[in-house]
Amino acid sequence: MDFYLTTVTLGLCYAALALGIFISMKIFNIPDITTDGSYTLGGAVTAVMLTHHQSSYVILPAVIIAGGIAGALTGLIHTKLKINALLAGILVMTALYSVNLTIMGRSNIPLSNVASLFSSVQIVADANQNTFWILLLFVVLITFLIGYLLKTDFGIAMRATGNSESMIRALGVNTDRMKITGLALANALTALSGYFFVQSQDFADINMGIGIVIVGLGSVIIAESIINWLRITSVWLSLILVLAGAVVFQLVLAVTLAIGVDPNMLKIVTAVFVLLIVSLPRLSSLRSS
Amino acid sequence: MKFFKYLPITFLLIAIVSCKPKPKSVTIPVVGFVDAFEDATIAQARTGFTDALKKEGFSEAKKTVQIEYSNAQGNIPTLTQIVNHFVSENVDLLATCTTLSTVTAIQKTKTIPIFAMVAPVPERMKVLDASGKAPANLFGAVEDLNYIDTSFTIIPKLLKPKGAKLVIGMIYNQSEPQSTDALNRIKSLAEKQNVTIVALPLNSSADAQLVTQSLLNKNIDAFFANPDNTVFAAFETILKSCNQKNVPIFTSEAGLVQRGAVAAFGADIYQWGYQAGEQAAYFLKNHKTDGLAPQMVKIRKRVYNPAAAKKYNITVPSDFEAVK
Repeated sequence: MDFYLTTVTLGLCYAALALGIFISMKIFNIPDITTDGSYTLGGAVTAVMLTHHQSSYVILPAVIIAGGIAGALTGLIHTKLKINALLAGILVMTALYSVNLTIMGRSNIPLSNVASLFSSVQIVADANQNTFWILLLFVVLITFLIGYLLKTDFGIAMRATGNSESMIRALGVNTDRMKITGLALANALTALSGYFFVQSQDFADINMGIGIVIVGLGSVIIAESIINWLRITSVWLSLILVLAGAVVFQLVLAVTLAIGVDPNMLKIVTAVFVLLIVSLPRLSSLRSS
Repeated sequence: MKFFKYLPITFLLIAIVSCKPKPKSVTIPVVGFVDAFEDATIAQARTGFTDALKKEGFSEAKKTVQIEYSNAQGNIPTLTQIVNHFVSENVDLLATCTTLSTVTAIQKTKTIPIFAMVAPVPERMKVLDASGKAPANLFGAVEDLNYIDTSFTIIPKLLKPKGAKLVIGMIYNQSEPQSTDALNRIKSLAEKQNVTIVALPLNSSADAQLVTQSLLNKNIDAFFANPDNTVFAAFETILKSCNQKNVPIFTSEAGLVQRGAVAAFGADIYQWGYQAGEQAAYFLKNHKTDGLAPQMVKIRKRVYNPAAAKKYNITVPSDFEAVK
């Protein structure tokens, strides 16, 4: 049971990241590669501040601000210098590698015996369950905030920017500012994922962010296929599906491991699994047409 | 605004003009020290290396040698850059720490002597030429796979199986040849010892918890931590999961014992660097490599972690020393 519990916990760690990718993908139609860098940035800031005996509650705003700055930079480069969004993300991600190394001072920081978010609050006795409940609480809180934000006038303008930029600009909305704010928000969420991951796994590593954008994209794509299949328009339901997507993506990995697939085939089987989940709605609609 | 148009060009020109080759001091020898990644244990090799040079009269403080140190922080492209830079500077010798640095250096230079440490024998690194000879410029202290036999055979001696057969879980990294080599070696050992091996691949530290939990789900009696980069990076995660399930960790590397594994038999990393340093000093003194060859690492030690041994009620033989 512990095996699946830790898997779900890991999925929850990535939930904030999935929400971040959801915002940058869905709302701006920009696949944001900054993610790889800002995730590690969140982890690096957390690890360094923890080793300097800062409390988790002090670290939280610091992580959010750091991620926000990284995202805003990508937005600035993309909108003000008119550079392709993908390239802007890659540039910031590349630069962040050095920033993260400078912050950490070394490529890997092990964190044993430091107080973390999950050891400071005791809800249940079992450490893994405790981590799970605290994370769940945080994720629900974040989802609530993001859901509320997307419902406000500002949020509606942000979503409309992704749907039809020229129309929303005609209505007098500053789309550049919308993009910068949105990317800052998305990367603040991503950094938050790094913050959760480092504290639940007890280490920060310079390479922890490599390919993490795939995890986020995988979660969002799983959610998207269900959203399109059921023609969901509700923001709340979409967000919940994205969270579920993050957990399902990790569970797919876990099931592949549990089945005992030949290790060399692990990645391809995972890919096929996700492909199945994503294509099922399509297959059923093909048959009906 | 015309002025701004020429600004980048001016900057470029200034940048190009300000590039000039660093004057190489002819008087003192230069050592290029290449480290592949950052780790507290592996860093002891560098200390050993510089200590050996110091003892032979080559110290940075006395300005009798210049040791240029670069660490790639686990990034392969950076590692290649570092080695290229040292080769273009034409350093007197290269000191390479761990397999990755050594292999990269061998690929980049055939003339500058390479003094390797914390690296396996040339045939393990797959650097032999067609006639089966090691590169002529490779020296230093190396290690074959025998150490794994010793560290692995400790486990059945110290541990009673829960079931009929001892089941040992293992993580290996598919992108590191020495890690896969070690796994194959252990698999063949396990057959002789009547032990079952359950091995899973871990190629990025992010999946460490998932893979470890998956192993623990398969009812293992012990965990063998094969020291590769991913295990080094994510050891705390592995340790936490194993401790929750009361599964002891064994390894072949003293540094991991310090971080919480029960026991290990393996080379003393400091002495390993020291041995390579002695060879480098010999070369710096005589300016020739005659009589030098890659040596097997000499000093190995058996270490255990008192706290971990107590937790699992494991009685460690008296020839093991406790880690500080």
